[in-house]
Amino acid sequence: MQSIINSIVKNRNLIIYLFLSFVTFNYLYNNSSVHYSGFGKVGTFISGSTSSIYSYINSYFNLRQENNKLIEENLELKKIESQFFDISDTKDISNSKIDKTISAKVIFNSINKNKNIIVINKGEFNGITREMGVISSRGVVGIIKNITGNYSSIVSLLNTDLKINAILKNSSTIGSISWNGLDPRIVQLNDIPLSSSIKVGDTIVTGGMSFYFPRGIPIGTIEDYNNTSLEGYYSIDVLIFSDFSSLSNLYILERTDNDEIKSLLNE
Amino acid sequence: MNRELAKDIILSLLIVLSQLLIFNHINLFGTVNPFIYVSLFILYKTTYNKTFLILYGFLVGLIIDLSLQTYGTHTLASITVCYLRERIVKYSFGVNSILPLAMIRGTQLTNRVTYFLIIIFLHSFIYFSLIFFNFEFTLTIFLYTLINSIVNFIVIWIVSKLIFEKQK
Repeated sequence: MQSIINSIVKNRNLIIYLFLSFVTFNYLYNNSSVHYSGFGKVGTFISGSTSSIYSYINSYFNLRQENNKLIEENLELKKIESQFFDISDTKDISNSKIDKTISAKVIFNSINKNKNIIVINKGEFNGITREMGVISSRGVVGIIKNITGNYSSIVSLLNTDLKINAILKNSSTIGSISWNGLDPRIVQLNDIPLSSSIKVGDTIVTGGMSFYFPRGIPIGTIEDYNNTSLEGYYSIDVLIFSDFSSLSNLYILERTDNDEIKSLLNE
Repeated sequence: MNRELAKDIILSLLIVLSQLLIFNHINLFGTVNPFIYVSLFILYKTTYNKTFLILYGFLVGLIIDLSLQTYGTHTLASITVCYLRERIVKYSFGVNSILPLAMIRGTQLTNRVTYFLIIIFLHSFIYFSLIFFNFEFTLTIFLYTLINSIVNFIVIWIVSKLIFEKQK
């Protein structure tokens, strides 16, 4: 206590000086508009820079939440997008609806085999059934194959067993997408007759003539093609939009009219 | 001692009054306004209380500010000069800083000029920095400080000579 008093007495000049400076600055700040705005600028700069540092640091702690939020937001957008497709494609044969999209995270993925499987963290309990279509934010990924209570496996587009109905976006020429098991970035578009005109860079989307996907979900673009086949069809290489080596969030499309169409076919 | 103190108080009042009534209205070259009141802090005897000098600076500065509507710029310049005066005295006069009127007699002329110039320059610099209060005007601040310091130095030097020559 004594030492505190001593130090106050010793530094009394400094203390008085600082106190009077404070009083004077206060006087300046309150009376002069120039100084008011000057101090205001300094204040804004300090508070702005400190809070931006704080939010920069803080954002790292909220990344998980932020991520989930973005996934939810994506889901909403997908829903809106699907509605949009329904309206624009009313004349199409596959007038199907996506009633619901379910988001899921990839927990296993492979691209180096020729029958690649992806496993996700959603299953029967989350409303997933067999043969649902799976997409990423960039395009088609695959189809649900097996389900357990909490997990599902997906036949990836990079699986030689899978064939997906596809069309050329510009000309609506119908073909089918499959994979030859070689390059995980390239799939093959078959059954496009030589009579149709194609060029490198054309976009390929789902055709809608299957139970899996509605029309218009992007698959990829034409990378290369060969028209020397004797069978009368192009052999086309398609560069896929989805990057299968870094899949993390997927969306499962639930179509309500599948059962109806199936029952019609069975009759 | 008391007589001397009374004389100093009267002198202070006279200087403040002359600042208020005469020097506040002088405007040389449109920019220079001699701050004769700074001589009070320069000529404050080194034997007087140093803490009181800061309060004294505050009081005088406040009076000038109120009269000139400068909202504390003179006050801040004054208390800063008063707070730093002890160090400036020591820097300027060294061992002679114990002399009560080291700034007038008993010391070398160069030391005295240095002491006057440091205080006047410091005061002007703080004053103009606060008046412009913007980094864009740095050059203007220095220019004004320089011109004002020179004029102030001449005025205050003459005033101090007048006061103490008479006393002799």
